[in-house]
Amino acid sequence: MLSMLMRRSALGLITVWLVSIIIFIGVEILPGDACTAFLEREAQGLLLENCRRDLGLDRPAWMRYGEWAANALSGNLGVSPDGQRQISELVGYRLRNTLLLASGAILCGIPLALFLGIVAALWRDRPFDIIVSTTAIAAMTIPEFVSATLLILIFSVWLGWVPGIVLTSSNAPLAEFFPEVLLPIAVLTLVMTAHILRTVRSSVIETLASDYAQMALLKGVPYWQMVFRHVLPNALLPTINVVALTIAWLLGGVVVIETVFNYPGLGRMMIDSISDRDLPVTQAIALIIASVYVGVNLLADLLTMVANPRLRTAHLRGK
Amino acid sequence: MRKTLSFTAMALALVGTTAIAEPTGTFRQAHEFGFGAQSSLDPISKGRVFQITEKIMSRLVRPDMDGRPAPDLATAWSANADATEWTFSLRDGVMFHDGSSFGAEDVVYSLQRVLDPANDSPARAAIAMIDRVEAVDATTIKLTLSASFADLPLLLMDYRLRMIPEGSGDTIATTGIGTGPFRLVNFDAEGTTRLVANMDYFEGPPGVAEMEIIGIPDAQARLQALLGGQIDMERGISAQQSVMLSSSDRFNIQMIPTGNWRGLVFRTDVAPFDDVRVRQALRLAADRQAMVDLVMGGGAVVACDTPVGPRDQYRAQIDCPQDIDRARALLAEAGFPDGIDIDLHVATLEPTWPVLAEVYQQQAAAAGIRVNIVQVPTDGFWSDVWMQKDAVTTRWNERPADQALNEVYVSTARWNESYYRDADFDALLANARQELDFDARRALYIQAQEHLWQTAGTLIPYHVTRLVGTSARVGNLDAVENMSVRWHLVTVD
Repeated sequence: MLSMLMRRSALGLITVWLVSIIIFIGVEILPGDACTAFLEREAQGLLLENCRRDLGLDRPAWMRYGEWAANALSGNLGVSPDGQRQISELVGYRLRNTLLLASGAILCGIPLALFLGIVAALWRDRPFDIIVSTTAIAAMTIPEFVSATLLILIFSVWLGWVPGIVLTSSNAPLAEFFPEVLLPIAVLTLVMTAHILRTVRSSVIETLASDYAQMALLKGVPYWQMVFRHVLPNALLPTINVVALTIAWLLGGVVVIETVFNYPGLGRMMIDSISDRDLPVTQAIALIIASVYVGVNLLADLLTMVANPRLRTAHLRGK
Repeated sequence: MRKTLSFTAMALALVGTTAIAEPTGTFRQAHEFGFGAQSSLDPISKGRVFQITEKIMSRLVRPDMDGRPAPDLATAWSANADATEWTFSLRDGVMFHDGSSFGAEDVVYSLQRVLDPANDSPARAAIAMIDRVEAVDATTIKLTLSASFADLPLLLMDYRLRMIPEGSGDTIATTGIGTGPFRLVNFDAEGTTRLVANMDYFEGPPGVAEMEIIGIPDAQARLQALLGGQIDMERGISAQQSVMLSSSDRFNIQMIPTGNWRGLVFRTDVAPFDDVRVRQALRLAADRQAMVDLVMGGGAVVACDTPVGPRDQYRAQIDCPQDIDRARALLAEAGFPDGIDIDLHVATLEPTWPVLAEVYQQQAAAAGIRVNIVQVPTDGFWSDVWMQKDAVTTRWNERPADQALNEVYVSTARWNESYYRDADFDALLANARQELDFDARRALYIQAQEHLWQTAGTLIPYHVTRLVGTSARVGNLDAVENMSVRWHLVTVD
């Protein structure tokens, strides 16, 4: 188990490194650079030369990547283009804000999804299940920017209960994000609940129909005991990976939601930095998102393994 | 007795609402955060957030409601006989926000900073003809020009030419100290920048106590913020969006004709566009009113290939109806009886470009002009496509007539996007600059525009009408472009 953990961690690090190279190459082959993006039509002559020299863009790409990688390994992610602030600090605030949004959505969404999914499965094909399943499909198929705009229209423009757009600065204390953060959390909850709920529902239904569940019922185990002791532990195992993917998606910065709500999170910063050709920031965020994906997936596999003894010993039996 | 009292109270109340009104309320607007981390309060840097600098700093001269030069920090000006030496009298007793007093040295410093090549200011091109800036005494400055220029005050209205304290160049990007009606409290380009009323403003205390300028990059999010009452004004609403505002009494819409133009550029130095008859045919094939209706939803003023805006005092009145027969005849005369094929390069950088290109494609087809629309990426458009390819789209923001004609059409202009080289045109502009008599000068500028209509390679079908949406609580907002608005008059309920 330990060796597997080591092997997976090493693979994870290699993945993150590859991602940093891919992102670097990707941004490099886009037309234009940080200076043409900033100067627009003034990107000519002396102005352009000076700008490129100031940002060190006059050196070959491999040299810039090497320098960035060496700094990044020693924990220095560079400074912002105005030279005033550390990128780690700027990105840090954005990461914190994304975490706030993600944890809000996770805290609301996962319990809700588990509850609704289980109940819908137990009451399969009854009115409750039909309503929940239909709503879930609707929530999944309507693009998130549409549901976001609809919620803004209803709760902000018509009812005036909560602000529609987030106007708080990225480095403001967390408390100042309330109540502005509620609508984005609601939209995220809607989308992620729908996904998880459907997995939970089908998994529970499948397990309910399994031989051992039927056997338990036949030998006289009370229905609720059968559900809680035999069905749910087995049914919820496959959902761990879906939940993990959803969490990784949330932590990676939900670009569309952050743009619609003007939320100062990682996703919007990523988009802005790409359009500004601000490579150090793009790279820093890519590193974070890649690490989150690798880390959360590793954790999910470990959890599944802990919960399922058969997987734990699979490699032993193979020998 | 009671009567007298109530009369006094009434008089006091009246005085209270007019002369010594306390600034009240907060006015909130958004900016696009277009320069990201390079956003700055330095008025002459490329990253200047003009939505902030225009409220905290003043110019020497500003446009009045008709776009003509009016006093700001300069109260009067005069030129010598050949308009090569200009003297400006400065307002007395004006204080900067940090308590220091404003004087001639600050003007000399601010203008020299723009002119210094080491500072790389994009504003330098606009006033490059200024050779020397000198302080005559504490409230008088003298500008010496390298050539005669009769409309210097027009150029000094440029939104970037704002006065800052002497020696503040290294700190101005974050301190934003000026003499404007509002004073900076904190600068946060990506979040909320706060300003408070400058009670010592030389034209009296402003109408609102505070202003918040908020960074919202996404246009849709800005509209949502306006609809939801989180901001009070949004400038540049599209015709489609305006329906949402005009149907509600919580909002008002101002329609402001601007000098901002969009167009198609054909390089005059390459075949087939090097033949003036081909260029004429290309422009005659356009039905401009149809373009205004189809592309802009009616929100524009037809232009006949002149960059000079509809409200400019030097605008030429030209008539330019579509003339397919004449276009065909001209093409045949130029040796293209079967018409021509054009690759027109279009990006979505400006959202209306693709629509404009498609409308032109349809209209020009009747004259045998077969337009092939080439989609190019927005990234790198200005460096790899514009001024590189033979036929491209373009857009410019309002400039005074002289600047618009000089920066884009003169043979030696850095931004001569159509590679237009015409000695007659250059001479007309040079003469106009030196002509001190207004009517004669105006005649020359009009002649120059008519010359463009005859020979230019740039199709300018219209000038954009800007839609400004405000919440109903906003009062006294001048219905003019940003650079002319008197922000100290704005009030909120």
